[in-house]
Amino acid sequence: MAWFPGTTIEAPAFERWLAHRPELNTLYKRFYGTFWDDALLPRSLLEMCRVRIAQLHDCDAELLVSDPLAELEPPKREAIPLWEHSESFSPAERAALAIAEKFPWAHHSISDEEHAELANHFDERQIVALTVALALFDANCRLRLVFDLEGVAAETTPGSAAGPLH
Amino acid sequence: MSTNPRVQSAIPGQPAHFGSVMAQQPLLLGRFGELYGTFWSKGVVDHRTKEVARMRNARVTDCGF
Repeated sequence: MAWFPGTTIEAPAFERWLAHRPELNTLYKRFYGTFWDDALLPRSLLEMCRVRIAQLHDCDAELLVSDPLAELEPPKREAIPLWEHSESFSPAERAALAIAEKFPWAHHSISDEEHAELANHFDERQIVALTVALALFDANCRLRLVFDLEGVAAETTPGSAAGPLH
Repeated sequence: MSTNPRVQSAIPGQPAHFGSVMAQQPLLLGRFGELYGTFWSKGVVDHRTKEVARMRNARVTDCGF
Protein backbone atom coordinates (compact mmCIF):
# COMPACT_ATOMS: atom_id res chain seq x y z
CA MET A 1 0.00 0.00 0.00
CA ALA A 2 1.51 3.29 -1.08
CA TRP A 3 1.82 6.07 1.48
CA PHE A 4 -0.35 8.40 -0.54
CA PRO A 5 -2.62 7.79 -3.50
CA GLY A 6 -1.52 8.22 -7.06
CA THR A 7 -3.47 10.20 -9.59
CA THR A 8 -6.38 8.55 -11.35
CA ILE A 9 -4.87 8.54 -14.85
CA GLU A 10 -4.89 5.23 -16.72
CA ALA A 11 -1.25 4.24 -16.26
CA PRO A 12 0.99 1.88 -14.29
CA ALA A 13 1.42 2.74 -10.60
CA PHE A 14 4.80 4.39 -11.03
CA GLU A 15 3.42 6.83 -13.58
CA ARG A 16 0.18 7.45 -11.66
CA TRP A 17 2.32 8.66 -8.81
CA LEU A 18 4.69 10.76 -10.93
CA ALA A 19 1.66 12.30 -12.64
CA HIS A 20 1.03 14.37 -9.54
CA ARG A 21 3.48 16.64 -11.38
CA PRO A 22 2.44 16.22 -15.02
CA GLU A 23 5.20 18.39 -16.42
CA LEU A 24 7.93 16.51 -14.56
CA ASN A 25 6.32 13.19 -15.48
CA THR A 26 6.46 14.05 -19.18
CA LEU A 27 10.06 15.23 -19.01
CA TYR A 28 11.13 12.26 -16.92
CA LYS A 29 9.62 9.87 -19.45
CA ARG A 30 11.47 11.67 -22.24
CA PHE A 31 14.75 11.46 -20.33
CA TYR A 32 14.39 7.85 -19.12
CA GLY A 33 12.86 6.77 -22.42
CA THR A 34 15.93 7.95 -24.33
CA PHE A 35 17.68 4.67 -23.57
CA TRP A 36 15.03 2.61 -25.34
CA ASP A 37 13.61 5.11 -27.82
CA ASP A 38 17.03 6.07 -29.16
CA ALA A 39 18.87 2.78 -28.67
CA LEU A 40 21.89 4.23 -26.89
CA LEU A 41 23.03 0.78 -25.74
CA PRO A 42 22.09 -2.86 -26.48
CA ARG A 43 18.72 -3.59 -24.89
CA SER A 44 19.98 -6.84 -23.41
CA LEU A 45 22.75 -4.97 -21.59
CA LEU A 46 20.30 -2.39 -20.23
CA GLU A 47 17.94 -5.13 -19.11
CA MET A 48 20.49 -7.19 -17.23
CA CYS A 49 21.84 -4.10 -15.45
CA ARG A 50 18.31 -2.90 -14.61
CA VAL A 51 17.42 -6.31 -13.19
CA ARG A 52 20.66 -6.58 -11.19
CA ILE A 53 20.17 -3.19 -9.57
CA ALA A 54 16.56 -4.06 -8.72
CA GLN A 55 17.78 -7.30 -7.14
CA LEU A 56 20.34 -5.41 -5.06
CA HIS A 57 17.54 -3.11 -3.84
CA ASP A 58 15.21 -6.08 -3.31
CA CYS A 59 12.69 -4.06 -5.32
CA ASP A 60 9.92 -6.46 -6.35
CA ALA A 61 7.97 -3.79 -8.22
CA GLU A 62 10.87 -3.16 -10.57
CA LEU A 63 11.56 -6.88 -10.96
CA LEU A 64 8.00 -7.48 -12.15
CA VAL A 65 8.80 -5.52 -15.30
CA SER A 66 10.48 -7.44 -18.09
CA ASP A 67 11.57 -6.07 -21.46
CA PRO A 68 10.73 -8.69 -24.13
CA LEU A 69 12.74 -6.86 -26.78
CA ALA A 70 15.88 -7.40 -24.70
CA GLU A 71 15.59 -11.05 -25.74
CA LEU A 72 17.22 -12.31 -22.57
CA GLU A 73 16.80 -16.06 -22.54
CA PRO A 74 15.32 -17.36 -19.24
CA PRO A 75 18.50 -19.21 -18.19
CA LYS A 76 20.54 -16.05 -18.64
CA ARG A 77 18.00 -13.92 -16.79
CA GLU A 78 18.05 -16.44 -13.95
CA ALA A 79 21.84 -16.30 -13.85
CA ILE A 80 21.98 -12.53 -13.27
CA PRO A 81 22.21 -12.73 -9.43
CA LEU A 82 25.24 -15.00 -9.80
CA TRP A 83 26.76 -13.30 -12.84
CA GLU A 84 30.23 -13.26 -11.26
CA HIS A 85 30.26 -17.06 -11.20
CA SER A 86 28.40 -17.66 -14.45
CA GLU A 87 29.81 -18.30 -17.91
CA SER A 88 26.65 -16.95 -19.54
CA PHE A 89 27.92 -13.40 -19.77
CA SER A 90 30.36 -11.88 -22.24
CA PRO A 91 33.40 -9.90 -21.05
CA ALA A 92 31.64 -6.64 -21.99
CA GLU A 93 28.51 -7.64 -20.05
CA ARG A 94 30.64 -8.62 -17.06
CA ALA A 95 32.42 -5.26 -17.13
CA ALA A 96 29.07 -3.44 -17.10
CA LEU A 97 27.61 -5.70 -14.40
CA ALA A 98 30.66 -5.07 -12.21
CA ILE A 99 29.82 -1.37 -12.19
CA ALA A 100 26.09 -2.05 -11.72
CA GLU A 101 26.92 -4.32 -8.77
CA LYS A 102 28.45 -1.43 -6.83
CA PHE A 103 26.17 1.35 -7.98
CA PRO A 104 23.47 1.23 -5.28
CA TRP A 105 25.52 0.73 -2.12
CA ALA A 106 29.23 0.86 -2.95
CA HIS A 107 29.69 3.54 -5.58
CA HIS A 108 32.82 4.89 -3.87
CA SER A 109 34.53 1.55 -4.25
CA ILE A 110 34.30 1.36 -8.04
CA SER A 111 37.96 0.93 -8.82
CA ASP A 112 40.16 2.30 -11.56
CA GLU A 113 40.69 -1.30 -12.66
CA GLU A 114 36.97 -1.92 -12.99
CA HIS A 115 36.58 1.28 -14.96
CA ALA A 116 39.53 0.40 -17.18
CA GLU A 117 37.90 -2.93 -17.97
CA LEU A 118 34.71 -1.08 -18.90
CA ALA A 119 36.73 1.14 -21.21
CA ASN A 120 38.15 -1.95 -22.89
CA HIS A 121 34.67 -2.72 -24.22
CA PHE A 122 32.84 0.59 -24.50
CA ASP A 123 33.73 4.02 -25.86
CA GLU A 124 33.24 7.17 -23.83
CA ARG A 125 29.80 7.91 -25.30
CA GLN A 126 28.65 4.43 -24.29
CA ILE A 127 30.21 4.73 -20.83
CA VAL A 128 28.34 7.96 -20.19
CA ALA A 129 25.09 6.40 -21.41
CA LEU A 130 25.59 3.30 -19.27
CA THR A 131 26.45 5.29 -16.15
CA VAL A 132 23.39 7.53 -16.49
CA ALA A 133 21.23 4.45 -17.11
CA LEU A 134 22.56 2.83 -13.93
CA ALA A 135 21.83 6.02 -11.97
CA LEU A 136 18.24 6.03 -13.22
CA PHE A 137 17.71 2.33 -12.51
CA ASP A 138 18.96 3.01 -8.99
CA ALA A 139 16.76 6.10 -8.63
CA ASN A 140 13.65 4.29 -9.89
CA CYS A 141 14.06 1.56 -7.29
CA ARG A 142 14.53 4.13 -4.56
CA LEU A 143 11.40 6.00 -5.64
CA ARG A 144 9.31 2.83 -5.75
CA LEU A 145 10.57 1.70 -2.34
CA VAL A 146 10.36 5.04 -0.57
CA PHE A 147 6.74 5.47 -1.68
CA ASP A 148 5.98 1.78 -1.28
CA LEU A 149 4.45 1.56 -4.74
CA GLU A 150 2.88 -1.71 -5.76
CA GLY A 151 4.16 -3.49 -8.84
CA VAL A 152 2.32 -5.14 -11.68
CA ALA A 153 3.82 -7.85 -13.85
CA ALA A 154 4.39 -6.40 -17.31
CA GLU A 155 6.30 -7.56 -20.35
CA THR A 156 7.01 -4.22 -21.91
CA THR A 157 9.59 -1.57 -22.64
CA PRO A 158 10.45 -0.12 -19.21
CA GLY A 159 10.39 3.48 -20.40
CA SER A 160 9.44 5.54 -23.44
CA ALA A 161 8.56 9.14 -24.12
CA ALA A 162 5.49 7.97 -26.01
CA GLY A 163 4.33 5.08 -23.86
CA PRO A 164 3.58 4.36 -20.23
CA LEU A 165 6.29 4.42 -17.62
CA HIS A 166 6.51 1.03 -15.94
CA MET B 1 37.01 6.37 -5.92
CA SER B 2 39.19 7.86 -8.58
CA THR B 3 40.67 11.31 -8.02
CA ASN B 4 40.98 11.85 -11.75
CA PRO B 5 38.13 12.10 -14.24
CA ARG B 6 37.50 8.72 -15.84
CA VAL B 7 35.70 10.16 -18.84
CA GLN B 8 36.96 13.06 -20.89
CA SER B 9 35.19 16.32 -21.60
CA ALA B 10 33.33 16.38 -24.91
CA ILE B 11 33.66 20.16 -25.09
CA PRO B 12 37.01 21.36 -26.47
CA GLY B 13 38.87 23.61 -24.05
CA GLN B 14 36.76 22.66 -21.05
CA PRO B 15 37.86 20.37 -18.24
CA ALA B 16 35.87 17.27 -17.39
CA HIS B 17 32.90 18.35 -15.30
CA PHE B 18 29.31 17.16 -15.06
CA GLY B 19 28.10 19.06 -18.11
CA SER B 20 31.12 18.53 -20.34
CA VAL B 21 31.20 14.79 -19.63
CA MET B 22 27.45 14.44 -20.11
CA ALA B 23 27.99 16.21 -23.43
CA GLN B 24 29.40 12.91 -24.68
CA GLN B 25 25.69 12.12 -25.08
CA PRO B 26 24.07 15.35 -26.32
CA LEU B 27 20.57 13.86 -26.45
CA LEU B 28 20.76 12.71 -22.83
CA LEU B 29 22.26 16.01 -21.72
CA GLY B 30 19.50 17.98 -23.41
CA ARG B 31 16.72 15.90 -21.90
CA PHE B 32 18.34 15.91 -18.47
CA GLY B 33 18.62 19.70 -18.69
CA GLU B 34 14.92 20.03 -19.50
CA LEU B 35 13.95 17.87 -16.53
CA TYR B 36 16.39 19.23 -13.97
CA GLY B 37 15.88 22.81 -15.09
CA THR B 38 12.13 22.46 -14.71
CA PHE B 39 12.60 20.92 -11.29
CA TRP B 40 14.57 23.95 -10.13
CA SER B 41 12.76 26.73 -11.92
CA LYS B 42 9.14 25.69 -11.29
CA GLY B 43 7.22 23.64 -8.82
CA VAL B 44 5.36 23.33 -5.59
CA VAL B 45 8.34 22.94 -3.23
CA ASP B 46 10.14 26.13 -2.28
CA HIS B 47 13.69 26.67 -3.49
CA ARG B 48 15.23 26.73 -0.01
CA THR B 49 13.84 23.28 0.86
CA LYS B 50 15.12 21.82 -2.41
CA GLU B 51 18.58 23.27 -1.77
CA VAL B 52 18.72 21.94 1.79
CA ALA B 53 17.75 18.48 0.51
CA ARG B 54 20.31 18.67 -2.31
CA MET B 55 23.11 19.61 0.11
CA ARG B 56 22.14 16.91 2.58
CA ASN B 57 21.99 14.29 -0.15
CA ALA B 58 25.47 15.31 -1.34
CA ARG B 59 26.84 14.94 2.18
CA VAL B 60 25.23 11.55 2.76
CA THR B 61 26.50 10.39 -0.63
CA ASP B 62 29.91 11.87 0.22
CA CYS B 63 29.97 13.79 -3.04
CA GLY B 64 32.46 16.62 -2.65
CA PHE B 65 31.74 17.96 -6.10
